[in-house]
Amino acid sequence: MSKIYYGENDMKDVILALGAESVIFKTQRWNQSFALKWRKSKPYLLEEIDSLLRKTRTSKECRTLTIARELGVRTPAVYSVDLNSYSILMDFIEGTQFKLLVERVSQKQLMELCQRFGQSIAQLHQGGVVHGDPTTSNVIVDQHLRLWLIDFGLSEMNATVEMKGVDLHLIRRALETTHWDKQELMLNATIEGYIDTAGKEAEDSISRMNEIRERGRYH
Amino acid sequence: MPLICLGLEGTAHSFGAGIVTSEGVVLANEWDMLKPSQGGIHPREASRHHSDFGPSIISKAFETADINYRDIDLIAFSRGPGLGPCLRTTATMARTLAVKLGIPLVDVNHCVAHIEIGNLESGFDDPVTVYVSGGNTQVIAYAGGRFRTFGETLDIAIGNMLDVLGRHFGMPFPAGPIIEKEARAGRTFYSLPYSVKGMDISYSGMLTAAKRLFSEGIPIPDICFSVQETSFGMLAEIAERAIAHTKKKELLLTGGVARNNRLTEILSGVSERHEARFHRVSPSLAGDQGAMIAWNGILQYKSGHEIKISSSHVLPKWRTDEQDILWRK
Repeated sequence: MSKIYYGENDMKDVILALGAESVIFKTQRWNQSFALKWRKSKPYLLEEIDSLLRKTRTSKECRTLTIARELGVRTPAVYSVDLNSYSILMDFIEGTQFKLLVERVSQKQLMELCQRFGQSIAQLHQGGVVHGDPTTSNVIVDQHLRLWLIDFGLSEMNATVEMKGVDLHLIRRALETTHWDKQELMLNATIEGYIDTAGKEAEDSISRMNEIRERGRYH
Repeated sequence: MPLICLGLEGTAHSFGAGIVTSEGVVLANEWDMLKPSQGGIHPREASRHHSDFGPSIISKAFETADINYRDIDLIAFSRGPGLGPCLRTTATMARTLAVKLGIPLVDVNHCVAHIEIGNLESGFDDPVTVYVSGGNTQVIAYAGGRFRTFGETLDIAIGNMLDVLGRHFGMPFPAGPIIEKEARAGRTFYSLPYSVKGMDISYSGMLTAAKRLFSEGIPIPDICFSVQETSFGMLAEIAERAIAHTKKKELLLTGGVARNNRLTEILSGVSERHEARFHRVSPSLAGDQGAMIAWNGILQYKSGHEIKISSSHVLPKWRTDEQDILWRK
């Protein structure tokens, strides 16, 4: 893995992930591994928009990581946040991205994981939180097959039915673009888990999900 | 001998007839756009426009190409997605010609055609495509035998948003080019709702807020500037997410709104960041026109696809990812 220098500290850290939005480093502090997420500048955006997004997303992510855990969803704990450098220091979760596991596990295991994913999303929704980017890339599966949700930069609080419907729609969207050969199986299992946890309240969000799919197009 | 295809496009307010050879040469590309004197596009008026002007546009295409009706080998038509009445009018013309000339009929997906004509022009092989028009706003890429929509608008299309805003300012249709010009004189940025959800976006909140700025007396150039920066920024962000996700090395910008220079600048900035090649489809091939339908018709026909008249009903809600792309491996 490549070594890079981060910030003024000149710490030699390892890049874990290089996304469109951020760079995530694995870093050592106090003899322990941590993940350091740094939101890069997007030079193609107007400066005002860019800095506002970096700031609001960093603080949102930080806040929701904690709230989600209070709702019973596993998330990395936050140790520090820096709104000047737009970075968050959090737990490093030892595990594999759900996205990468999809092709490696049995169908039975996959359905179980999807059900648990649906349950976690429902736990958030019941607490009035939407994830905002619920893809299989943003779920880490640890060695005990426990799910950890990450990447809460697009999350929102005080979620309405519409916002929950959009969240579910995004799951479907992610499955159809990334896991198209298993999309039906995975979506069904995820929705099953969602209903399992959200109970009667699931109905409204699910019917909204189906409605959203038809928008933004000619009719 | 190369094949020659006549393509008819008529999904919305434009009717187009294009003639293209299997070597990718555009022999003719004629179109006409309904410009409502006020308000938006009414599907029935648009279909009326197509039936009134369609035949003469088709004749003009043959004149420009300098060929005879008997010289064409197949007919392609835009089967969807689009406005039902417009699609039916266009399909009727295509079927009639196919029967009359006794040649095969090919049904083309409008969105897929936009991508493939862009590929023909740019020489791209496998791009992430940003398709922006009055009726569509999608980020599309090929994966697993189909063109898949990675992101799109959850409410209104970007072109529609610009037109509605322009109408609010009292600008004629289409307002996009006027808004672009006004935006260049804008100096002050007003923060507007920036709504990215996963790889999808939403424009309705931003539109409402922009209208409010106008009622508060904010100068039009500043509103146009703020709207462009915000709406294009959102689009650029989901395009970047799609590139980062798919790791593709080409970015294609197409559709009527591709004419906007600021959008082009922003998206080329995205591609630079990912060392991807960038291409904006030229105006004559970026908007709704028949050449793209004809070219896609050829691609489909050569891969063994044609459609019987009896099953050629239109598909107003035909999704981009519902068609098997037989001509790509």
